[in-house]
Amino acid sequence: MVKIVLLAIFMPIFTFTVGLSFMMIKRKIVARIQRRYGPPIIQPLYDILKLLSKKDNISHGVIFSLGPIIAIAGSILTIFFIPIPGLHLMTGSGDLIALLYIMAIGSLGMALGAGDAANPNASIGISRALTLMFGYDLPLVIIVIAVILHYHTTDLSAIVAAQSNGHWALWSLPLSAIVGFVVTYGAMGEHPFDIVTAPHEVATGPMVEYGGKHLAFLMINHAFHIYIEIALFVDLFLGGASNIVIFYIKMFAVFFIMMMFDEVLPRFKIDDAVRFYWKWPTVVALISLIIVLVK
Amino acid sequence: MNISLELLLATPFIGGLLTFIGGKVHRWVRFTVAFVFSFLTLVEAFLYYNSTIKGVEWGSLFGSKLILQTNSITWLFMFIVTGISLLIILFSISDMEEDHQKLDSYYMQLLFVEGAMLGIVLAGDLITFFMFWEIMSWTSYFLIVHGGKKSVAAGYKYIIMSILGAYAMFIAIAMIFARAHSLVYADVAVLFSHSSATFVIWTTALLCIGFFVKAAVMPLHTWLPDAHSEAPSPVSPLLSGVLIKMGAYGLFVVLYGFLSVNIAKNLMPSVFSTPILLYIIQWLAALSIVLATFLAIVQEDAKRLLAYSSVSQIGYVVLGIATGTSLGIAGGLFHALNHAIFKSLLFLAVGAVIYRTGTRNMSELGGLVKKMPVTFVALLLGIIALAGVPPLNGFVSKWMIYESLLQKREVFLLIMAFIGSTGAFLYVYRLIHSLFLGQLPKKYENVKEVPVLMQIPLWVLSVLTIVFGMMPGLAMNVIVKGMTSFGLAPIKYNLFGFPSNGMMGSLQTINIAVILMIAFVAVLIFFFLFPKTRNVKQFDNYASGQVVTEDLKYNYSYGFYMSFSRVIKPILNLSIEKVYNYWIDAAKIFGDYYMRRIYTGNLETYNSYIVIIVVIAAVAILAGGKLW
Repeated sequence: MVKIVLLAIFMPIFTFTVGLSFMMIKRKIVARIQRRYGPPIIQPLYDILKLLSKKDNISHGVIFSLGPIIAIAGSILTIFFIPIPGLHLMTGSGDLIALLYIMAIGSLGMALGAGDAANPNASIGISRALTLMFGYDLPLVIIVIAVILHYHTTDLSAIVAAQSNGHWALWSLPLSAIVGFVVTYGAMGEHPFDIVTAPHEVATGPMVEYGGKHLAFLMINHAFHIYIEIALFVDLFLGGASNIVIFYIKMFAVFFIMMMFDEVLPRFKIDDAVRFYWKWPTVVALISLIIVLVK
Repeated sequence: MNISLELLLATPFIGGLLTFIGGKVHRWVRFTVAFVFSFLTLVEAFLYYNSTIKGVEWGSLFGSKLILQTNSITWLFMFIVTGISLLIILFSISDMEEDHQKLDSYYMQLLFVEGAMLGIVLAGDLITFFMFWEIMSWTSYFLIVHGGKKSVAAGYKYIIMSILGAYAMFIAIAMIFARAHSLVYADVAVLFSHSSATFVIWTTALLCIGFFVKAAVMPLHTWLPDAHSEAPSPVSPLLSGVLIKMGAYGLFVVLYGFLSVNIAKNLMPSVFSTPILLYIIQWLAALSIVLATFLAIVQEDAKRLLAYSSVSQIGYVVLGIATGTSLGIAGGLFHALNHAIFKSLLFLAVGAVIYRTGTRNMSELGGLVKKMPVTFVALLLGIIALAGVPPLNGFVSKWMIYESLLQKREVFLLIMAFIGSTGAFLYVYRLIHSLFLGQLPKKYENVKEVPVLMQIPLWVLSVLTIVFGMMPGLAMNVIVKGMTSFGLAPIKYNLFGFPSNGMMGSLQTINIAVILMIAFVAVLIFFFLFPKTRNVKQFDNYASGQVVTEDLKYNYSYGFYMSFSRVIKPILNLSIEKVYNYWIDAAKIFGDYYMRRIYTGNLETYNSYIVIIVVIAAVAILAGGKLW
């Protein structure tokens, strides 16, 4: 019991650290691609600490303040459902399908908070976020079904276990893995899918009214978000890992490849993003699903 | 068990008549009688928990016995009917105060609909079933037209489509009667077990047309968006939450009471190990899910949005029932219960907003969260349940349907079911954002929370979404027991969820809820460790340097998913209603063409008709009736 409680406290801290480290490295990678030197490596941590210690925190109402809190609570709940090497706390409480919907709790909190900001930029941001989500959700559910049917289980830890010793889903379901990468990439909101925050259009969208400790909480949530998306991809297609170091290396590899795309692409129009996802990723995902069905 | 089924069935009808008479005395007498009698009905229905009565004969017609019966599935639907009706009567007292004359008949019709729906679920033969089905159609029609001018046209459409559905059912019943000479369910089941495939498919299909009109499965749904949105606020939840479930109940009885999956498999070819008839029903349901979701996303009217969402959600119920596996059927029936709870909750919450603001146009509302917090929380729980997000009830039943489709490897239907659920995020967020978030218009600055009597139904239903979400075993006790009495294999479950079984992973929603609560409290404490927040007015807002004032509409709510509606424009342009209207027009032209040959509008022609008739009559008289 004590062990479980300690692990439950350890998990969010570990997850936050991993997510934060990616946020730090991202700033450096971006700078190098743009031939700049870039900020000090722990700049994102400075930012969070600075925002947390602000004396004046502005709020537009209770829901506005609760939004970031629900978002983090939802993220913490989600990370317990994603197995990391040697640890899967909530394996008996929900499977992969439940996980897809548990992931929505945090987003719902975020959306409610942004809506209560009473700023059209925030509302437009949420409208865009939901539209984009509807876009990538179609290929996402298709590849999730393909993975489940391929491994004959909806239990995520069993899917990871079946991929041990290098039998990655990347090799057995290559098309699904490619689509999975594109979907994860969109869910991360990197270029060309950064239509949600789009600073030049909707002034960072959902975050427009947030400042002070609220914004710090949203940055913390962003760290969790990065972790959740990439860890899920690693678990589904790269076979999880045997220990935490290898898990981190795999996650970093995925993140690094994403950064390479991120910095050289422009931004989609909202409807074009949806059309994109409903075209090629969906077709490729369907082909992969049919291959699984026929086998 | 002292109360007979006849008395249970009679209670709402007696109550309805007494309410009408009581209304002539005083409005409080009317309300008290209506409340007491619907409460009595609920209590009497509760007494039948866990009891099975095979058949009580209450009369006979055309040599066929009229039978009342009850089992656990019946009890599940009785619970939905009586529970929601009681809450609606509570809600009505504040909401429907304007016209005393009409209110007497309003409450009477409310109780009559309740009684008719009880009759449908208690019926043990098709005549009783059909009789109460018709009473339900007509009384609910009168309820719909209480909603003002526009509702008359909507009600007209509803009753026309209901009558068409009833005709189809009537033909099927006549076909069955011609062969079996009895319409008791057990005799019909015997008939189905040794009939030809053609007969079974035709009767089932005709019965299903009747059910699908009522359940609003596409393409027979066109009455629903009009009727549900134009009906008075307390009637919409009765229609959306309860009345359309009668179609699902009828489908269940026909598919598993008359027909069974094994018989159906012997009679007709199978696709994905599903008899083809069930497979077609599954596709209709899946199409309802997706298309109605798309339509709900682009609505501007809050009640119309919910009405389209009902079409989508009833698709899950029908899809689950038509899977033919125990898990899917249990999921479908559970979703019927859950949908009744959360959709009634949503309609009542929107009704509360309409009661205070007088509009259901979403782009005119906004920012009401600070004025109506109770309604906000109720609506929030409703949309979480509707979108199928754990740990509330809508998630559990949808999860069961997903898992059953996965086990049958029906991937395309599964994709459509998932898409309907993701699309639900879009329209439910649109609903809560447009009503409660964003800028509060100046004219609603003095809006208050709704009166306590209207809050009670919201509270009760909110608690139920949580209870059935975390303890699905409570509902499963009833559903699984009822399914075994229909000869279906039971599924494994416990109070808090489902153990893993083959391909299916396990689910314990209570753990999800507990961890979420702990995480929430921990983060909340962490949040309060840092300096306090300061509340600002809604106009103290970022606007690129512009000063936001009250006369400037600084809100985004009209055309919330404009860019998305551009993507799905080809789908939105499809309309089954256009096809129906085409046939109506064709019928009109046809009628005009031949009618005009007779009624030419020319006086001479009419005169010649008179002359001809007179001559014929004269000849007939002269011939002394020996003409023939």
